[in-house]
Amino acid sequence: MTFHIQHTTRYTGSEAVSVGHNEAWLTPRATGLQRLLSHSLTIIPQPSVVSTRTDAFGNTVTQFSFNQGYDALTVTAVSDIELDRPAERPASDSLAWDAVAEALQRHESAAELEACEFLFDSPRCRTHGDFAAYAAPSFAPGRPIVEALLELVERFHGDFQFDPEATTVTTPVEHVFRDRRGVCQDFAHLLISIIRSQGLAARYISGYLRTLPPPGKPRLVGADASHAWASVYCGPLGWVDVDPVLGTLVIEDHVTVAWGRDYGDVAPLKGVYIGGGSHQLQVSVDVEETAPAGE
Amino acid sequence: MSTAEKIGPPLRFDWSVPTGVYNEALDPSGTPRDGWREFLDALRHAPPEELARRATQAEEQLRENGVTFNVFHEGSQLQRPWRLDLLPFILSAAEWRKVEKGLNQRARLLRWIVQDCYGSRQLIYDGSLPPEVLFANPGFIRAFCGLHAGPGPSIATYAAELARGPDGQWCVMADRAAAPAGMAFALENRIITSRTIPPALHHQPVLRLAPFFLQLQNTLTELGARHSPNPRIVLLSSGASHPYYFEDVYLARYLGYTLVESGDLAVREDRVYLKTLAGLAPVDVIMARGPERAIDPLELGGNSPYGVPGVLHAMRRGNVTISNRPGSGLMETPVFMAFLPELCRRCLDEELLMPSIPTWWCGDDAQRAYVLDQFEGLVIKPAFERSGGRETIVSRVSAAERGALRERILARPYAFVAQELIERSAVPVFSQGAVRPGHAAVRVFMVAEGGEFSLMPGGLVRVAPNTAPMELSISAGVGSKDLWVLADGPVRPVTLLSSENEPVKLQRTSAIFPSRVADDLFWVGQSLDRADFLSRLLRAVVERLTTDAPLDAAELPSLVRILADQGQIEPGFAIEILAGPMPAFGEELPRMVSDASESRGLAAAVRELERLASLERLWISPDAWRKIHETAATFHASVSSGWTGPYDVLDAVNQVILDLAAVSGLIQDGMIRGPAWRLLDIGRRVERTRNVAGLLRSLMSDGEPIERPVLKALLEVMDCRMTYRARYLDNIQQNAVLDLCITDETCPRSIASQLAALADHVDLLPQDAASPLRSEEKRVIMGALHAVRMLPPDQLARPQTADLRDIMIDVDLALRALTDTLSRKYLLHSGQPRQITIEPDVVATT
Repeated sequence: MTFHIQHTTRYTGSEAVSVGHNEAWLTPRATGLQRLLSHSLTIIPQPSVVSTRTDAFGNTVTQFSFNQGYDALTVTAVSDIELDRPAERPASDSLAWDAVAEALQRHESAAELEACEFLFDSPRCRTHGDFAAYAAPSFAPGRPIVEALLELVERFHGDFQFDPEATTVTTPVEHVFRDRRGVCQDFAHLLISIIRSQGLAARYISGYLRTLPPPGKPRLVGADASHAWASVYCGPLGWVDVDPVLGTLVIEDHVTVAWGRDYGDVAPLKGVYIGGGSHQLQVSVDVEETAPAGE
Repeated sequence: MSTAEKIGPPLRFDWSVPTGVYNEALDPSGTPRDGWREFLDALRHAPPEELARRATQAEEQLRENGVTFNVFHEGSQLQRPWRLDLLPFILSAAEWRKVEKGLNQRARLLRWIVQDCYGSRQLIYDGSLPPEVLFANPGFIRAFCGLHAGPGPSIATYAAELARGPDGQWCVMADRAAAPAGMAFALENRIITSRTIPPALHHQPVLRLAPFFLQLQNTLTELGARHSPNPRIVLLSSGASHPYYFEDVYLARYLGYTLVESGDLAVREDRVYLKTLAGLAPVDVIMARGPERAIDPLELGGNSPYGVPGVLHAMRRGNVTISNRPGSGLMETPVFMAFLPELCRRCLDEELLMPSIPTWWCGDDAQRAYVLDQFEGLVIKPAFERSGGRETIVSRVSAAERGALRERILARPYAFVAQELIERSAVPVFSQGAVRPGHAAVRVFMVAEGGEFSLMPGGLVRVAPNTAPMELSISAGVGSKDLWVLADGPVRPVTLLSSENEPVKLQRTSAIFPSRVADDLFWVGQSLDRADFLSRLLRAVVERLTTDAPLDAAELPSLVRILADQGQIEPGFAIEILAGPMPAFGEELPRMVSDASESRGLAAAVRELERLASLERLWISPDAWRKIHETAATFHASVSSGWTGPYDVLDAVNQVILDLAAVSGLIQDGMIRGPAWRLLDIGRRVERTRNVAGLLRSLMSDGEPIERPVLKALLEVMDCRMTYRARYLDNIQQNAVLDLCITDETCPRSIASQLAALADHVDLLPQDAASPLRSEEKRVIMGALHAVRMLPPDQLARPQTADLRDIMIDVDLALRALTDTLSRKYLLHSGQPRQITIEPDVVATT
């Protein structure tokens, strides 16, 4: 199926910003299942300089800066994506999780070496004995990895409550684990930390979630959101995405923009500015399906 | 050792080197080693008193040069002097060449590894390095990937921390590849040692250090050559609060680079610029001296004051070179030491010549087993933090702590390394009148020269009184030493001054004047004049308080009110004094004057003068800086001796007045009439005008004519008594006194002479040539000058009229407006950078 996505970030300050430098991770990358059909990034006002580069994880970064002051900054990413549905196979049809962990220890293939990059602590995802203990009931020795993950993420979904008021962008995973509340970013960080505590490799995915209106109601434009979830290295299967907010494996409602070890590697928009006073941020995302599935 | 008995007086050799420790000076038979014979012979005949006297001289020179740690650190009372032992550490040329060969290979190897780690990562893919070394290593920073591919050396300067073990073999205790500290200290030690060591000890030809710094200049210039044929190089410092700030100042001055802090640099259109008094000047090479992981707050986050937002991308785009390249610090994490012998074969196809201290990485099963088996004899360090931070000498901790450490290692084995302990070699130290053994840590420095590295023929030696493990920091040990490398041929004289014997193009200005420096110097000027004015005012008060009958001094209430108006004393005193509790005031005054937390007080002005002058002493004449430092030291010593009454205050302010007059003289005589002097002088004159205007407003505030005793006191504060007497004898008249204070442009303290000078200064600041009209600052200052010049003579006789008071108020307002305009236009170009962060959130869940 194909999606048309519009992601607008509007930044307004109480005073003019005099100088600003920014980096944006807003260009969806190609994956095994996802192709970028078209993409544009519109920045208003016109920056003094814009360039793109590829970061250490293979994501596209747009770097732009302003010499002239501005009152408001609007960054709009418009992308058309073609997404394949992953091949359906029973969760039991996967390598045992402990065999995957051992293979990562031996890291004999290039794929395993690359996965090792997502095996260790990163600034926002830290392994912990308590996290390993939380995962343990789902990770019996020899259990197929996808089956274990599916049970883990379902359990996680039941134990943790989505609560935008509970956390901020800097809340540590240990607090999220203790309070059992947070938003998608917190849940992704915590799930990644739990999975890494098992000796497995997990990365952070920044992207979009298509949401469907309640039956009989029209689709609300702009009601979607930027989203985040986790992806786990599963041996020969490659990387399998799991969404702790939904408590499921990722099938066809998720559009990947970028991945890294955690949010800090792929924040949609980073910036350093001078001036601006107190500021306000508005983000709107619209994910529209442009062709029905199966065509 | 039996040498002590063989040598008689004069100098005592208390020289017993513990068994098993390598003796740098003597071989096991007691015969001097290569290079030491001549020195030891001379030393044996050196009178101990002369050595002691010269050692004191050296310490004095060090203190004077301000080579002390934390000397610039605000609020830090404890200053740790850089102790220097006059006896050098001597090495023969042959041995030095061996060290250079080994370290050249090592530096090339580290460069190879860092380029690979931040590039194609072959070493990971072919199994030469386990993935943990990068992926579990917080020192591996993704934003630096790709930065090491460009032309030119990625590591331009490298330092190795060396120790010599009992077998006589040098080994590397730590690698420093990001921004190695210590080379300026080595240079400073060399200069002072050469000046103060007894000439009899200094007969041998010693290799000079200057060629090393010359090479450093060449290497950095080559790095900049791809950006500009005449590259501009700046030295980026962490600033005055950093403990090694001295070194940044010293290096910048020695190498001739502009010393900058992050606020001085701006990135525009992916180019780096230096903010100067005359606008933005492009920068080609940044010699980065701060922590690499703070170099760019945009890409690396954090709120360190060191970094420059956007600088990494400017480097990626090929518009600037940061040296050493960000990422080089990865090589400082000791985990690499465990792999160097294999990596040397793999990368260079050579055997490693200069070994590291034996190092085991606990992430490897066999190595971990060895470490846990030999636990008590080892030192355990975090594998991914640069050496010199946290470490545990296992034999020194309790059994419980050992157990806990084992647990931590087993939980995260890859995060630890273990190293052997070393007994450092012994070298002669002159201490307490005798020659004794000291155990040496040696830091040596390399600079890239094409594809190779050359070694500074010298270094920074620190000595400890025993063989216990020493910290790796350059401030470790109880003292430092110069390192002499003896030449085996004639020594070529080299200096960093013009190497060719031909005339240069004459210039009248130095190329670059950063806005921050301009700002600081402006405030140096202000503090200087504020301290002077307050001292004179206080002297006038205190002199009257210390007479037999202070209450008879009719002018005292007026003077006390001025003090109150100037924020020097509680306003209550100005009222109370009319009722007569003079003793209380006399007792309170010392406290109020000495209170440095009172921001408008004399103590604060003196402290601020010293702080700002120390920051910008590159721009002030060395003598003026020394005198400022001495003035502040004298004043603070006087304060801390405990003042008990007005007499103490009187002595102190008299001294400050004389000292500041010397400072003024040195500034006027010693500073080139360039922008530095100009900004300083603008600051002084702005302050002086406002002080005089404020003083006159206080005196005129009651609308009464100013009484004669007050006019006399005013002449004292204005330092015009002699002039007045010469003109008018003892006939004190208000109009004549006010003429001297306000309108007489020949009087160096009058308001009119300050305004006229300010008008001239403003003309000579860099201007926007496109505008045909007068600049805002020029209009402001001309307006004030005009008002003063146009004062009708009879107004001076009648200050009780509101007009003169209003003019004083207008002058004050005009100078405030001038300060604001100058600040906006020339001094501060920017505010504090801030981060934006955006949290993703989902609006609804299914």
